[in-house]
Amino acid sequence: MMDHEAYRRALLADPHSKDAEMLRHREACGQCSAFSDQLLKFESRLERAMRLEMRPPAAEFRPGRDRQGRSRPGRSRPARFALAASVLLALLVAGAVWLAVPRTSLAAAVVAHMAGEPDAWNTRAPIPGPALESVLESADMQLTAGAGVVSYASSCEFRGHVVPHLVVQSAHGPVTVMVLVHESVGKQVQFDEHGYRGIIVPVAGHGSIALLMHGPDAHIEDVEGIAARVRNATVWLR
Amino acid sequence: MLPGSDLTMKGRFGGNERRARFQALCQTLRPDLLRFAFWLSRDRALAEDVVQETMLRAWKAQDSLLDEKAAKPWFLTIVRREFARTFERKRFPTVDIDELIRSEQPSLAATEDDELAELRTAIFKLTDEYREPLVLQVLMGYTTAEIAREMNLSEPAVLTRLFRARNQLRTLCGEDTRGDPPE
Repeated sequence: MMDHEAYRRALLADPHSKDAEMLRHREACGQCSAFSDQLLKFESRLERAMRLEMRPPAAEFRPGRDRQGRSRPGRSRPARFALAASVLLALLVAGAVWLAVPRTSLAAAVVAHMAGEPDAWNTRAPIPGPALESVLESADMQLTAGAGVVSYASSCEFRGHVVPHLVVQSAHGPVTVMVLVHESVGKQVQFDEHGYRGIIVPVAGHGSIALLMHGPDAHIEDVEGIAARVRNATVWLR
Repeated sequence: MLPGSDLTMKGRFGGNERRARFQALCQTLRPDLLRFAFWLSRDRALAEDVVQETMLRAWKAQDSLLDEKAAKPWFLTIVRREFARTFERKRFPTVDIDELIRSEQPSLAATEDDELAELRTAIFKLTDEYREPLVLQVLMGYTTAEIAREMNLSEPAVLTRLFRARNQLRTLCGEDTRGDPPE
């Protein structure tokens, strides 16, 4: 039987380990179980800390074209200065355009965020309760079992705030749920962008919730059904 | 993932379509590659350069990507190599952690959560040998075996580094570590 020290050492190396011996020890030892819960909360914070918001580049990568297609070592010094000047100019123009146009729509920001986390839909197993609770803390909420299987939960930076990003399994496939307590919408917003179909529903006193599916089989009616399920299963703590 | 799964298709797809698919792949993976490069280098500008160079190298070497599902680790490996190359080329002076933290303060403090900002600063203070496997595990979802393969280490060595990394982070963040096993 694994002892406390070996268990905690292994847990600190891999807090999400599914090792059978570790799971047995955790079930049998209350102190180590409490230690695990504490560590999982730390782990959730660690993941949020590492998941920095990354703004899109000033210019998209274009393979095999323009200056980007040339190798850097062969570039002469004047060419480097010219390159730096053109990049600076591009940044100035981009900055001016950014200041002149309205901010990206909420729906577009949700879709862009999804593109940054393509692995979120790759798992179907329910995540551990403590990990989910830890993620939901940022929105001061809890989810009852009525929400269904939550297979992914991450605290993500979204437009300057940390928000819960969940994936709920449904009969029609995985549905992404983002709890946006800092984003208010007047009425339900429907969107269909880059293969993502979804809705943003207002939640009185708690901002909004965005839900979306992906692919040709994604239907708004299914997303609306999941939205109702999630809202019914939500317990607001303040 | 993008429809279809094979990028090794010079014969099957025309240049424009192949270019568009590769561009879409880069766009999808870019945020994670950039995060990885940032934690590796602790320098936002350098991370941008490394990722840009990575994409160029990936484009040139796309025939070695056999399965699009494996694109992310394939790109991450290129990021690691490119960072190592950049490091060799520039011969950075001794790293001043406080200066690094000061210069990257906008990224580290880009949150309303003070604990997160504190944790990011603590990650900066980890040495490369502990920071890199931790980022691969926590952010990129690598298993111990995958980290070992990527870093050319044994699995026990990876586990030791991961244990020490968390141990140091928890201490730096003032966590209650009385229940932690000794190093």
